Amino acid sequence: MRKIDAFDLLTSPAVITVFAIFIWMLFVYLMKSIPAFHRYGLDLYFANIWNATEDPSREQYGLLSPIFGSIYTSLIAIGIALPLSISYSIFVIDYAPKRIKNILIITSDVMAGLPTIIYGIWGAFFLVPTLKDSFMEPVYERLSFVPIFSTEPISGFSIMAAGVLLGIMVTPFASAVIREAYQMVPFKYKESAYALGLTRYESTKLLLGYIKPAINSGIILAFGRAIGETVAVSLVVGNSFNLGASMFSPGYTVSSLISNQFGNAFIYEHMTSALYAAGLFLFVIGLIVNLIGLYVLRRWKKNVGL
Amino acid sequence: MWAFNLRGVKDLVFLSTIAVLTALAILPLLHIIYMVFSNGIGAIMDTGPIFITGTLGEGGIGPAIVGTLMLTFLSSLIGIPIAFAVGIYAYEYPDSKIGKATTTLLQIMLEFPTVLVGLFVMQVLVIPMGSYSAIAGAFALAIIMMPYVAVYTKESMSQIPFTFREAAFSLGTKRFRALFQVLAPIAKRGILTGVLISMAKVAGETAPLLFTVGGLYQTYPDGLDSPIGAIPLLIYTLVQSPNPADHAMAWGAALVLLVIFLGAFIPIRMSLKEVKL
Repeated sequence: MRKIDAFDLLTSPAVITVFAIFIWMLFVYLMKSIPAFHRYGLDLYFANIWNATEDPSREQYGLLSPIFGSIYTSLIAIGIALPLSISYSIFVIDYAPKRIKNILIITSDVMAGLPTIIYGIWGAFFLVPTLKDSFMEPVYERLSFVPIFSTEPISGFSIMAAGVLLGIMVTPFASAVIREAYQMVPFKYKESAYALGLTRYESTKLLLGYIKPAINSGIILAFGRAIGETVAVSLVVGNSFNLGASMFSPGYTVSSLISNQFGNAFIYEHMTSALYAAGLFLFVIGLIVNLIGLYVLRRWKKNVGL
Repeated sequence: MWAFNLRGVKDLVFLSTIAVLTALAILPLLHIIYMVFSNGIGAIMDTGPIFITGTLGEGGIGPAIVGTLMLTFLSSLIGIPIAFAVGIYAYEYPDSKIGKATTTLLQIMLEFPTVLVGLFVMQVLVIPMGSYSAIAGAFALAIIMMPYVAVYTKESMSQIPFTFREAAFSLGTKRFRALFQVLAPIAKRGILTGVLISMAKVAGETAPLLFTVGGLYQTYPDGLDSPIGAIPLLIYTLVQSPNPADHAMAWGAALVLLVIFLGAFIPIRMSLKEVKL
């Protein structure tokens, strides 16, 4: 045991504060959602019902639809972010001339830091109408027998719009992880690939295999970002309870449900608690997803270091 | 001969796909900037300088701008000292159990859904105080800013060559002085970068303010324990309004926010390449 000195005395209160805030936060979410769990049991997460009435005995809440919407939109988002971020990383590291490379990296960093409300206003006023006119309507006319395209895009505010917007927003986060990993591939591997006479396509395919864990981790972390994003999503997702498979229908996500309903939840007796339970879901999912993502990345970095 | 050609074709398809997808990844940003400027300038021109200084009734977003500046400043005041100490602690104990747990916690907090912070602060500050307030908003933003500052502090301190550390200790300085007065100043550029990036980040946050600051746009804020507005929150409210005049105003406010963000972020980001220790 080393002696405690001035350094420890000054810094440990700060460390304790940060841990305390985080634990306090988890505690508040647990305590506040207990009444809802008592009342609705597991139906709170597995039923699709949202009955807000002034008569407390008839209030009913089940979060299945927002949970479904959160997962659906986030999956669309990583479906978009995966090819974009991998291509971007390959292009930046292997092919871009130095000047373009710098511009590309700065652009991506700006996208990662850009206030999400700016994505939101662009999404609501440009992306939604554009997607509706140039993608959803033509696809619905021709392919409406496919379940995921099976509802008529009425307003354009939909699961799909939210997924696409989230995809654009999380691509820079996935890119940052994948780009860093791809840069760490030892140069001799590249040399050996070319020395074997592989084409650029073949050698890139080979090298991507080498950083596969990092790609997985980038995608997991991007999923975590997507599921927690609030304002941009709530401006484009349509905000209605829906469990259908069609991504042209409006939907809800857990975070947009909270941002939409929490302001007037105090009018109803049980809604606040139900919304804290929704928050608890986000809390736990965020924690698990991020821990897995960080763990995969750390383990890979350690192995590479050997 | 045929086999060779097929490989060549595949290679070409591969290269062009990569280039197209890369362009697709960054084009949205260019289009967003274009849209915000083209729509926002019109809105600001129509109202004139009142747009920056006036209250909402006069057609301006003045209180929101003041609110954003106040919230950013207050949250920095709360968050930066704590985060700086945590960052140095994580640097000093990279291998101890608490040190490792601290690093993990910081990384989780970086990725944490920000709306949850707002709901939490509502419960622990807004309800006991009985009113939305600037303090509550600043506390929520401080929680969000801390991991950025701490991680940057830790990373930039880790880049200091070990010989500097040896030199500091060989003079017989105590650990406290060696770290805070010798090593931290060497890493000040990286730390400052983290501070500025985190400030740019919280100035653009919306979700943590939803249930904490209340929003105040008809008059300028008076005091820290009363409601306050912020540009991102105002945009969020205006976009949801059915009135087209509000939409024009939202674009104008988005332009102001974008200019503040790019004005702070790009110079920091450009200077980062020079950070070498």
